[in-house]
Amino acid sequence: MRKEIVLLLISVVLLPFIVRPAIATEIWIFAMFGLGLNLLLGYTGLLSFGQATFFGSAAYVAGWLLKHYGINVLFALAVGTGVGALSAALVGYLCVQRSGLYFIMLTFALNQFFYFTAYQWTSVTGGEDGMPGIPRPSLLGLDFSKPIVYYAFVSAIFLLSLWAMKRIVEAPLGKILQAIRENEVRAAAVGYDVPRFKLAAFVIGGAFSGAAGVLYAMLFGIVPLEAIGFVFSGNVVFATLIGGSGSLYGPIIGSVVFIWLSESMSTIWARWPMLLGIAFVIVVLFLRGGVVEAWHRFSRLRA
Amino acid sequence: MASLLKTESLSKSFGALAAVAGVSLSIEEGSLHSIIGPNGAGKTTLFNLLTGTFPPTSGEIFLGNQRITGTPAHQVAHLGLARSYQRTTVFPAFSLLDNVWTAAFATRRDWKGLLFKKSSSYDDVQERARQALGDVGLAEKQNHLAREISHGEQRQLELAIALAAAPRVLLLDEPAAGLSPEETRRMVELVRSLKGRYTIVLIEHKMDIIMRVSDRISVMHFGRLIAEGTPAEIQANADVRRAYLGGMAA
Repeated sequence: MRKEIVLLLISVVLLPFIVRPAIATEIWIFAMFGLGLNLLLGYTGLLSFGQATFFGSAAYVAGWLLKHYGINVLFALAVGTGVGALSAALVGYLCVQRSGLYFIMLTFALNQFFYFTAYQWTSVTGGEDGMPGIPRPSLLGLDFSKPIVYYAFVSAIFLLSLWAMKRIVEAPLGKILQAIRENEVRAAAVGYDVPRFKLAAFVIGGAFSGAAGVLYAMLFGIVPLEAIGFVFSGNVVFATLIGGSGSLYGPIIGSVVFIWLSESMSTIWARWPMLLGIAFVIVVLFLRGGVVEAWHRFSRLRA
Repeated sequence: MASLLKTESLSKSFGALAAVAGVSLSIEEGSLHSIIGPNGAGKTTLFNLLTGTFPPTSGEIFLGNQRITGTPAHQVAHLGLARSYQRTTVFPAFSLLDNVWTAAFATRRDWKGLLFKKSSSYDDVQERARQALGDVGLAEKQNHLAREISHGEQRQLELAIALAAAPRVLLLDEPAAGLSPEETRRMVELVRSLKGRYTIVLIEHKMDIIMRVSDRISVMHFGRLIAEGTPAEIQANADVRRAYLGGMAA
């Protein structure tokens, strides 16, 4: 455990020197998004194809408030977290009534519903053009318009959310969610209200997604329509699976791989998503635990 | 002694099939009450009704003086009814300790710290979990994963999960299913050792087990109760013999 934390802290310090600070910032934002998804996917065993709903809703609401009322950054974060949790409560309530394929399709369908609402509501969201002009107001004399300062801020929030997620999954709730993943029938038989716990996973995951959404909007100064679209929902699933959904750190590694590849390769090679496709096929066929499992196998081989 | 678990004309139909038909049963507190019957007699369906897996079509269920008909499964567990399954139903990727921990935590009176307190820091739950594993003789394997132990041990774990909930009534659905003669013998000893500590309702096929451990036996056939009595009475009952012989010949 300690080793992972040290490695992560070193990465946080070094990353902005390896890639552009904006990309480094995006990596940790996406990692937060992945942490939220993984509570559902990895811990509860629920494949949600609608995480962008919470990410995008939070980005729009907080972005709007930042743009028109110039609210405090921390307040914007709090609003985003709340909107993420609330929208997840709504969507989750409907989705947990069903399981399996129907569950997945419901998360997807409701995501589409939110997407088209944003698409049509141009007076607020800007529709296809997105919602531009989102400021990054300074906080306590910290000038967030400097990329590296904003990077430090995002890193701190990311580490804080990782700590919170670690506490949650090591607490009884984490174990109960995993019990539901392992055997839903038995979990109910020993006394857990399964749909309610699934809903809790949704709400917590939504809160993380919401916080990430706000940071994303402030990073790029815009909420693009894609931020609430299903491709975005798919990307976070993709990244998490590549990193390894069985572990707390999987989505973080997945985010590093995914964002770094997409940002660095997209300028060199237009067909770069092929690389992701190949990586995904390898993971599905040979490495169900993603990069994390590859690492474990490698270190066992060395030992 | 007073009856602890009681049903009144309990019925469950799946379409045209009456899986359980008008079963009135009374389980005395502290007794070991077995339910036998040929395959498809409705025994497991009866358990599913008692534990709230699905609601009955008609009839009532009482636990003590409380009417529990239609109470969903997760609430039934909190009322003190715990069950084991005929087909092993554990948490495969969990350690044995985590398996029973999960059951022990569920019936804790309050869930304080659900979100942020370390699972391992609940001393009472930990203690109860170890106790349950000890009771079934799996204490030494507490850190093994449930999917890596033998089938016989999984059957024991199945029982431990039910015990960890500290139930008032223990419903055991064929605890010896698929066990070797040696494992069966151990399971019988185990069930016997639990006798008196819990009120036990036992479904079993193996007649020799039933006759040795039961206080009372109810016989089901095509969803109905056709006989009830002490092991000696049941053995002498002509209807029971016919049901069993008929069941085998069919």
